[in-house]
Amino acid sequence: MSFFDLNGTLKPLTALKQFGKKPHTISYPKESKEAADRYRGLHYNNLEECIGCGNCSTICQNAAIDMIHIEGIEGKKGDSGLRPRVDNGRCCWCALCVEVCPTGSLSLTKDYIFVSENPDDFLWIPGVDNPGGKENISFYSTKEISLNDFQRVPMPELEGKERVKSFAEVVLGYNEEQARAEASRCISCGICTEVCPDHMHIPEYINAIASGNDADAVRIIYDNNPLPEMCGKVCTRRCEEVCAIATRGEAVAIRWLKRYATETAATADITREIVNPEIREPNGKTVGIIGAGPSGLTAAYYLALRGYDVTIYEANAKAGGATMYGIPKYRFPIESLDKQIDYIQSIGVKIHFNTKVGKDISFKEIYDKYDAVFMGVGFPDAWPLGVEGDDAEGSMQAFRFLYMINSGEKVDIGDKVVVVGGGNVAIDAARVSRRLGAEVTILYRRRVEDMPADWEEIEGAEDEGVNIVPQGIPVKIHKDENGRVKAVEYLKAEMVPDDKGGRPRPKPIEGSNTIIEATAVMAAIGQMGDYSFLPEEFTEKIKIERGRFVVNEKQQTGDPKVFAGGDAVNRTADAISAIADGFRACKAIDEMLSKK
Amino acid sequence: MREKATTLYIGPQHPGITGNMMVKVKVEGDTIVEARTEVGYLHRAFEKLQERRNWLQSFTLLCRFCVPEPDPVEESYARAVEMLEGRQVPERAKYIRVLMLELARMGSYLLWYGGQNGSLGLYTMGQWSVGDRNYILDLFEELTGGRVYHMYIWPGGVRRDLPEGFADKVLRTMDYFEKRLKDYDDLMFENTIFQKRTQGVGVIPKEKAVEWGVVGPVLRGCGIRSDIRIDDPYEVYDKLDFEVPTAEGGDIWARALVRRQEIRQSIRIIRQVIEKMPAGDYYNRIPNPHKWALPKGDAYARTEATRGEVGMYIVSDGSTRPRRTHFRGAAYVHAVSLLEKILVGENVADISAIMNSLGTCPPEIER
Amino acid sequence: MSMMKELKENIIKRIKASFPDAVEKNDFNYNRLDFIIDKNKVPSMLLYLKEEMGFIHLSHASCVDWLEEGEFELVFIVWSPVDKIKVFVHTRVDRDNPVMENMDMIWPQLNTYEREFRELYGVQFTGLVAPDEFILEDWQGPPPYRRDFDTAAYAEKTFWHRPGREDAQDVRETIASRDGEEIPDFAKKYSR
Repeated sequence: MSFFDLNGTLKPLTALKQFGKKPHTISYPKESKEAADRYRGLHYNNLEECIGCGNCSTICQNAAIDMIHIEGIEGKKGDSGLRPRVDNGRCCWCALCVEVCPTGSLSLTKDYIFVSENPDDFLWIPGVDNPGGKENISFYSTKEISLNDFQRVPMPELEGKERVKSFAEVVLGYNEEQARAEASRCISCGICTEVCPDHMHIPEYINAIASGNDADAVRIIYDNNPLPEMCGKVCTRRCEEVCAIATRGEAVAIRWLKRYATETAATADITREIVNPEIREPNGKTVGIIGAGPSGLTAAYYLALRGYDVTIYEANAKAGGATMYGIPKYRFPIESLDKQIDYIQSIGVKIHFNTKVGKDISFKEIYDKYDAVFMGVGFPDAWPLGVEGDDAEGSMQAFRFLYMINSGEKVDIGDKVVVVGGGNVAIDAARVSRRLGAEVTILYRRRVEDMPADWEEIEGAEDEGVNIVPQGIPVKIHKDENGRVKAVEYLKAEMVPDDKGGRPRPKPIEGSNTIIEATAVMAAIGQMGDYSFLPEEFTEKIKIERGRFVVNEKQQTGDPKVFAGGDAVNRTADAISAIADGFRACKAIDEMLSKK
Repeated sequence: MREKATTLYIGPQHPGITGNMMVKVKVEGDTIVEARTEVGYLHRAFEKLQERRNWLQSFTLLCRFCVPEPDPVEESYARAVEMLEGRQVPERAKYIRVLMLELARMGSYLLWYGGQNGSLGLYTMGQWSVGDRNYILDLFEELTGGRVYHMYIWPGGVRRDLPEGFADKVLRTMDYFEKRLKDYDDLMFENTIFQKRTQGVGVIPKEKAVEWGVVGPVLRGCGIRSDIRIDDPYEVYDKLDFEVPTAEGGDIWARALVRRQEIRQSIRIIRQVIEKMPAGDYYNRIPNPHKWALPKGDAYARTEATRGEVGMYIVSDGSTRPRRTHFRGAAYVHAVSLLEKILVGENVADISAIMNSLGTCPPEIER
Repeated sequence: MSMMKELKENIIKRIKASFPDAVEKNDFNYNRLDFIIDKNKVPSMLLYLKEEMGFIHLSHASCVDWLEEGEFELVFIVWSPVDKIKVFVHTRVDRDNPVMENMDMIWPQLNTYEREFRELYGVQFTGLVAPDEFILEDWQGPPPYRRDFDTAAYAEKTFWHRPGREDAQDVRETIASRDGEEIPDFAKKYSR
């Protein structure tokens, strides 16, 4: 083209038309632009909702988040007590911490301006350093958006109507794929370990399962629990109540994962091979244990590993205590318990069966013979109903009924059973009776939501066709001409608030007597201990208050040589607490005897 | 008398350089006889750092590979991870990703306007185009929460759904740009100075282009119709209707023309995406990121960014962390081996213009 | 799809005819085909792919450190614009003495790639003419992209922490010490 190109020279001058126009990126007077609704600005943390799990600090890829103690916030059940602090010199505002927060307490705000002459101010604690940030939250994660998986892998179970036909185990267990998927939901915070009475190393064994090392998981579990398959099937699982994922979803299935891991060790021999515990040389000290329940077995196992010569005296024909004679087989098969007891015995624990202390051998003999004594005697007796006619034939205690069934005895309960009570024993008796072909009604004095039984058990009972009658107080048992139970008469109750702020109390309504036909009545209203084996001379030091032994935090009674644990001592009355007691007693006995 | 060659150091602090790198040129008079690219001012070792982070954490580092348009990098990583794992991405997420990519393309071209014209002395264009780019950044801020670094496209889909009223905002912004493009044309392409300065400068011979590793608009400016969006389609580009412009000549002028046409095509694509966007999920959720492991193997995903072929090669050894991630930026070839070749014989005054037309972006070279 | 399958099989046939000890990997459901070949044959294979089979575009080249196996893996990714298929050429070199032939006469951009591998991994390319430094400056240590080079340890040794974050706590330890839990040593590797 020629040098002088008219078009190309004049056209650009049209840019001058912009000259008089209002600038579109600057405004006079200056207005600060408000950030968008989703802007990723400075952090804000809701300190009450935050549980201090530390997932934000682990995901932060700049290592910008620390968990620190904050004045005024104490750790408690379900809360580690620590709170995140963000180093704004390192933060890149990627908001991954917001995406993985299980409670949703951490979020980002619209604030993007922060000025300070002191560089340490940039280490800032969201929520503390900007309490007003709550008004400005812009980037947050809801349950649907969050990267945590809030849905549990469903556990396969036998169907309700099918399962009453037999005592086959109801819960089928996870297979490998399901277990690994469920284990990978865990964020390894460890908040669960605090509420476990035994402080099992939960995140560690869950991570072992997630990475495919089932043998390592078994070893970690056996570090402080010698009956883990039992816990894996029937534990009360306080851990799951405080699970970080449970704050907005379904807790990680800690119990089922424990069951999966322990079932990979199919026999006692394989368990022995995998766990391969270090058994110290015998140190010449001996310990005698009364009762082969969970507390006694735990104390025995860990003392034996530490080189003590341990002997257990068990009054019944089989070991296990309440876990053998009180838990029905469809929840906890006897083969499973046998496997675990065999393993415990294989490391050298001696058990004398059918030996009742106080009858076949005296307490004094045991006291004198051994260097230390542990009592895990449990609550073998049950409260009677205490109404007119409860001496009829067919009127029994639920706990005794379960004992007889588990021992293989036949019990005649007829075809209509009424169970009085609302705890796990009542539900167990009811579901066992269903399997024996009876129609079952549970009579409970308060409402269904007040029942202390496990909600899973209540649901299971309802699925199996058990009829639950709440707010009913039995007053009389009618007998027929042969002295056999014929009917149960009860009064309906209304709930009145308790003056002291406790649970609402049932108040019987006069004249509301109702009669149900029954061929058997079972009382499941509580249990108590039998301490008749303890001779007079010992009761001064070994004190019993309100039906339980008095012990210090080391499970030691007033007599320094005698320790106790389990249902006879603690108020929580579940297997894991008994195991925890046994473990603590073992450590205390070890401490005491190694000093001598 | 023979002239002696002088060595000039262009960069690393130089208004003509598009970032932090240096070009060491030996000149005789005003003509370059040898050129050498020296990089190393921006090495953050992201690839090595990614080996210490798990698959999800790594994605936050990626956007920093390229400032003008971080989205193609995020997208190629996400697609490579999905290829390796076999993860399906929902349709809606794919459309949103295309929307993000094209908006990023427009934003980057607007920045390029500033750079290219600034290298020739036409500073007005830069003021206009960077100001207009703010409208696109506003759109990004509303969708993702960040203006420049989005961290929005991750393996499995995208991070959040479109907010209310977003589609209308996008369409209005596109209307605005269509009007604006005429102003740009008048000032820049019709401008005789621009034409004289760019025609015949920085020529890449057509028959050598592919062998020298030229990609993107630079290749299309040599007359070869090559675009990953049609050759090796990804996301939903095979369902969209658009043209791939080419121009003959292989000089700066041809490349500028190609880029100008591509902005128009981008607007066209964005309008189609808004129209065709299906309802549905926007994310196929990954499991717990701390425990998410990819199967053993490797994958390579390429994306057409404004500068050309951008690719992410990942290798997994079956664990939760990458064994190797290797990012290939278009500038890796353009700014080192190619630049050293075509600068020979050019004027010193044109170095900046040539570099801008190749789309050099130093963070891509040394990551 | 069947066109792609046929195309892949043709490529395999032609390659195997000229390079019988190339091992192919053909289990990808997209347009990709892999070959694994001895390092000495790589230059001739790449030249054959480029000149005879239309793979004129070199998309990428990479180096992977397989520390446990004692080898580096070099990968070359080539693309054919006409057939629209990618071919990956994999080869292994010994890690203790990594030597490979220079190939930048086939594609000039390989010069840059080889410079980078030489600097960051220590792979020697015989016949490579390029300045020593590319990305790093005055670096005296081992090639830093090797897996046995611990960047975190290097950072700890060379730089200092800015004070102010010493009060950071570990959540698991805080909870364990509060309730008296003793985590056994063999389990600690599973803690967070």
